[in-house]
Amino acid sequence: MAVTTRDSDWQIRLFVYETLIATGAAPSLAMLAERFGLSLPDARHALRRLHDAHALVLQAGSDEILMAHPLSATPTDYRVIIDDVALYANCAWDSLGIPAMLNCDAQIEARHPLGEEAMRYRIAGGELQNSEDRLVHFAHPFRQWYDDIVDT
Amino acid sequence: MLFRSENEIDKWRRRVGQNRGAVLSLSQVWALARRWYHDRMSPAYRGKSSAEAQSIFRALGLTGEFWLAPPA
Repeated sequence: MAVTTRDSDWQIRLFVYETLIATGAAPSLAMLAERFGLSLPDARHALRRLHDAHALVLQAGSDEILMAHPLSATPTDYRVIIDDVALYANCAWDSLGIPAMLNCDAQIEARHPLGEEAMRYRIAGGELQNSEDRLVHFAHPFRQWYDDIVDT
Repeated sequence: MLFRSENEIDKWRRRVGQNRGAVLSLSQVWALARRWYHDRMSPAYRGKSSAEAQSIFRALGLTGEFWLAPPA
């Protein structure tokens, strides 16, 4: 079923991204309500519409923002350093999505799924470096990505 | 999930009981990331349709059932 969003919802979405990039933390519902002159229920409805449209991901049963792809609002196994600021990505793909989104250089450190030495790679001048022959495993087919986006 | 080899992928799959999905090189994933996320900070961004996603996959040679969109 198609989700109906409003232009103002997408302005909120962009502010969420800008705040995450600037601070590493997602804005709270109260912060969004104040920033956009909304009541708390109206801000909550806007976030819910964005969640339903897959424009961001809320914590289950909460108004807190968990993901704004490729960014994670909580620490993950994929740490992306840009200009000495640490951001977190949701997965290996998203670790490259952050410099792709921001069109910038980045140093990335990924925790190894088997507990081996961490893997480090970087984007410099639009090129992937130190990637060696590393492989990314996508567990779920595209048609299932939004069934459980946290697990995906 | 990021790995150094196919052997590592198989070891991890056995450990967690995960079926094999799709495996791409990190270089392929960088190409995918650029096409998927380049417009995410645009004020005009309004999400990505399944058709747009499929177009990106096809452009990168990602075909087959794994990359098919869900039924409309």
